[in-house]
Amino acid sequence: MMRDSAVITVPSHPRYLAVIRAVTGKMGELCGIDENTTEDIKLAVDEACTNVIKHAYRGDVSRKIVIKYRITRKAFRVAIEDNGVRAHEDVLKGRNLNTIRPGGLGIHLIKRVFDVLAFDEKKKIGNRLILVKYLKGEK
Amino acid sequence: MNIHIGDCRGGKVVAISGEIDMYSSPELREQMMNLIGQRISNMLIDFRQVSYIDSSGIATFVEGLKSMKNYGGRLRFFGIPQGIMEIFSFSKLDRVFEIYGNIDDAINS
Repeated sequence: MMRDSAVITVPSHPRYLAVIRAVTGKMGELCGIDENTTEDIKLAVDEACTNVIKHAYRGDVSRKIVIKYRITRKAFRVAIEDNGVRAHEDVLKGRNLNTIRPGGLGIHLIKRVFDVLAFDEKKKIGNRLILVKYLKGEK
Repeated sequence: MNIHIGDCRGGKVVAISGEIDMYSSPELREQMMNLIGQRISNMLIDFRQVSYIDSSGIATFVEGLKSMKNYGGRLRFFGIPQGIMEIFSFSKLDRVFEIYGNIDDAINS
């Protein structure tokens, strides 16, 4: 069974978001995911890592973010790990899109492409956000 | 990301190229807010060379729009690439921003 995986660790500085996008894009390309979906996945992973910098690390750019990719024929899975402030499940709801204000859009951009969006409760310190995109209609 | 600011019929054209994300959006915000601080009545954002935008960039434009509306200014966009337009549509912000295909349509609106 086809399986590709990669792990990257980057500093929690926003300048590394471009690196995360580049790796995410290459992983999508490597696994034959179409260009439009890959672009959506890149944006979603960027948004998740932006949330880590803003909320889990509260703007501290000297911490680490670990991004783990695991791709099979059935799914594109990404785990995003930090050791910052624990997130509350409520953050996964996002704001009402009919409310026009800056902020709160990121979660919707993640949900737009990923089928599963959940925090791994087994991680006791910090957060592990699990994102799963099912491929070829697999659910 | 690079920003070039030009004049056009009494307004300002802000031409952006490259990627707008959490790293680059503070610079965009600073440049926009500098113009807004001068009470620029018309600001046109040229998106033709923008290759990427995330929610940080979008939030910057929402803030800019709200600030301009406070004094009756107009913020207009043109040349938005298809992939970025989909994000504006998805977030329902295509109903909030004035979006045009090209600079002439934006100026003449």
